[in-house]
Amino acid sequence: MAEEIRAEMVANVLTVDVSDGQQVDDGESLFVLESMKMEIPVLVEAGGRVSRIAVNEGDVVQEGDLLAVVE
Amino acid sequence: MTALAARPDSERAEQDPRDPQLRLEQLLDEGSVAPLHPRDASGVYAVRGRIDGAKVIVYCSDATKKGGALGSEGCGHIVEAIDTAVRERCPVIGVWHSGGARIPEGVESLDGMGQMFAAMIRASGKVPQISVVVGPAAGGAAYGPALTDLVIMAPDGRVFVTGPDVVRSVTGEEIDQEGLGGTEAHGSKSGVVHVVARDEPDAYVRARHLTGMLAQPGLFDLASVQTGSDLRMLLPETARRAYDVKPVIRGILDTDEFGTADFEELQARWAPNMVTGLGRLGGRTVGVLANNPLRKGGCLDSLSAEKAARFVRMCDSFGVPLLVMVDVPGYLPGVGQEWGGVVRRGAKLLHAFGEASVPRVTLVLRKSYGGAYIAMNARSLGATTVFTWPEAEVAVMGAKAAVGVIHRKTLAATPEEEREALQDKLAEEHQKVAGGVDRAQSIGVVDEVIEPKETRRRVAEALAAAPAGRGHHGNIPL
Repeated sequence: MAEEIRAEMVANVLTVDVSDGQQVDDGESLFVLESMKMEIPVLVEAGGRVSRIAVNEGDVVQEGDLLAVVE
Repeated sequence: MTALAARPDSERAEQDPRDPQLRLEQLLDEGSVAPLHPRDASGVYAVRGRIDGAKVIVYCSDATKKGGALGSEGCGHIVEAIDTAVRERCPVIGVWHSGGARIPEGVESLDGMGQMFAAMIRASGKVPQISVVVGPAAGGAAYGPALTDLVIMAPDGRVFVTGPDVVRSVTGEEIDQEGLGGTEAHGSKSGVVHVVARDEPDAYVRARHLTGMLAQPGLFDLASVQTGSDLRMLLPETARRAYDVKPVIRGILDTDEFGTADFEELQARWAPNMVTGLGRLGGRTVGVLANNPLRKGGCLDSLSAEKAARFVRMCDSFGVPLLVMVDVPGYLPGVGQEWGGVVRRGAKLLHAFGEASVPRVTLVLRKSYGGAYIAMNARSLGATTVFTWPEAEVAVMGAKAAVGVIHRKTLAATPEEEREALQDKLAEEHQKVAGGVDRAQSIGVVDEVIEPKETRRRVAEALAAAPAGRGHHGNIPL
């Protein structure tokens, strides 16, 4: 089952911590977003394979924007 | 042990799983089920029983009779059950599996449902009302659970006002029952459900746990809170870095012999930037609210304020003391937030804390800024005690942002290459006079700076020392 990871709020993409096709475990950090002067890691809920990364470092994302897909 | 667990497998297998007797035996203590009325064709069966020895009243849909649809007789049983619980001052639990109103009865069934709602509203805030949704609770039946204090949903639970067929014919939207009103819909999107259970038996286990916390709140046993772990280890090294607050909550609450914290989170997947839940501290049931920096940076926003407000009012209704854990950068800015009613819903949280009579201790972990500082149970709203951890900041905004506003002209007149350094220097000076906890302490809005490893003991002592209070109001489902 594919899990779509979306931005919860407007933010800058500070770092992309994974690469396409990578296996990730529960709770692993996919990205670090910067918003409200804070660095907020985006953690994967259910581990799997990263099948898509939709943003690059430095991008500005809006609430609801797709960040990645984990299968 | 529940009554069902005591029966041989062969006996259990013969029964229709929708049989209310079978469901009640999973919920209640062994041998405690006593009917309030004879079994009939009304679609409802109400009983007396016990949960961990404490008296409860339960009404249960009888889905073997017309799918548990509600007519005037069934609604009458529910009214009687709720009124009995209020008279006897014990929790009342509803187990729901009902297709809605009995259509052939016409307006009589609607009148019955209205009377059932009225009974729930009469009882609101007087006795805990808990709903366990194990099947459909459709149409009017949806508002039964929705009017109660806590809603637990099993995977087969379905709550909606109008079903998929009506939705399709009116709006053209294609969706099945589960998508429209299942655990994902109400656990994550609508906030109707407080606890999503793994399966039906788990729903009864969770209902027993929550009922026990409200029915047998216990007394603070301060001897049991003398040791605490160093919770500072759970915070990141840099102040800008977000973290999950739940391990900190668990680190403060009681744990069982396996080290698992006694904490039942409510509405975990809805408005997750605010954590709410019931747990035990020194043996006493407490309500915990906490900003969660991992989600939306821990900002307060429209939904999280409303979630918190309802939880505060529920705890106040039942005399459950509150621990409010603060790490909040402020309110979440945005057009969507303003138009989504962050002012109206944020006001609910101010109102909820301001009116609360229960002891309520605030603990600032790292920072508390601006309007959100007030909303998170500030001294001015009547906090019993306000603690902070060392290095915490209590301010209108972060020091650097503050001097950006205060010294805007000076900074603008400074050459660009020197501007950053000047702002840092001004921020440091500002921090000394306005931002630190010292200032907050000197004007009496922070009582004391406490060590993370002392937190468990100090919070329990502060809650135990305050006069026990309880609000006299209903628990409107905000």
